[in-house]
Amino acid sequence: MAKLSTELVNLLGNYGHIGFTFVAAIFVGLGGGIYLDEKVFDGRTSPWFTFIGLAFGIAAGFKSLFDILRTPAAKSDDKDTEG
Amino acid sequence: MEHPILFISIILEKLGLPIPHGPVGNTFLEKLCEPYMTYTWFVMIFLVVVGKLTLSNVEMIPGKGQNFWELVIGGMNDFFNDNMGKELTDKLFPMIATFALYIAVANLIGLIPGFMSPTSSINTTLALTVIVWVTHHIIGFRAHGVGYIKHFLGPIPILIPLMFPIELISNIARLLSLSIRLFGNIMAKETLLGILFMLAGAYFAPLPIMLLGVLVSVVQAMVFVLLTVVYFGQANEHAH
Repeated sequence: MAKLSTELVNLLGNYGHIGFTFVAAIFVGLGGGIYLDEKVFDGRTSPWFTFIGLAFGIAAGFKSLFDILRTPAAKSDDKDTEG
Repeated sequence: MEHPILFISIILEKLGLPIPHGPVGNTFLEKLCEPYMTYTWFVMIFLVVVGKLTLSNVEMIPGKGQNFWELVIGGMNDFFNDNMGKELTDKLFPMIATFALYIAVANLIGLIPGFMSPTSSINTTLALTVIVWVTHHIIGFRAHGVGYIKHFLGPIPILIPLMFPIELISNIARLLSLSIRLFGNIMAKETLLGILFMLAGAYFAPLPIMLLGVLVSVVQAMVFVLLTVVYFGQANEHAH
């Protein structure tokens, strides 16, 4: 039981934040795009920077997913389960 | 929403200090008396007093209190060593260990009726996150100088126009996700407990949520510290 709960806490710690990280990246990208459209270019370029920002945000979200898989904590966790 | 009973606020009100009736006070004194501020001080005093009581005379053969702290601090030290290297751990251990203890106690304190978690306010979590975010850039600049920008350029030179915005966005997203994750989880726990206490507190309805609340509190404190350590380690190592 103790070992199981330690493993559970470890897994939750390493991978439980995937959802938030992904969503945060998309929102930052989208927010940046909207800011460029509305504030910097006064709506003249609307909606193009919004779309570009959204695309970059989604790309950043996937990039942060790969980053989570490459963190040292996740790697050492893999080694433990294999051998 | 039903206002929860917070005993520090009641004591302060009896002492004649102004307690804000909204989430944010207007004057400086009201801002100082907001519940998350007073409970932050409560957690700080708690940690200092407990540390003083259990560690006032450090001995060769540890007693109960010293044993506990050696386990906690030693475990954290090993964990930091594994994830960000010895040199950085020696430099930054006090800061991250303080964050870990503070967040863990602040999360767990909300489970006791009459207390609230300071971390269920976005102001507290955002403050912690900004400190971590700024520190990891300072570590990067000190370790690599201007070459720190290589961290944001990706591995292939021709893809720099594509990778630079992506890396920048995912870096700023750290600020958002780190603060909102802790705030959201703890605020949800507090609100759910408050509602269940109000609806069916006499029938022990909040008990299962309290059990989950212990798990959430510990896991969120661990996630915050783990991510802090990972960010510091990544800023310190060479660009891929």
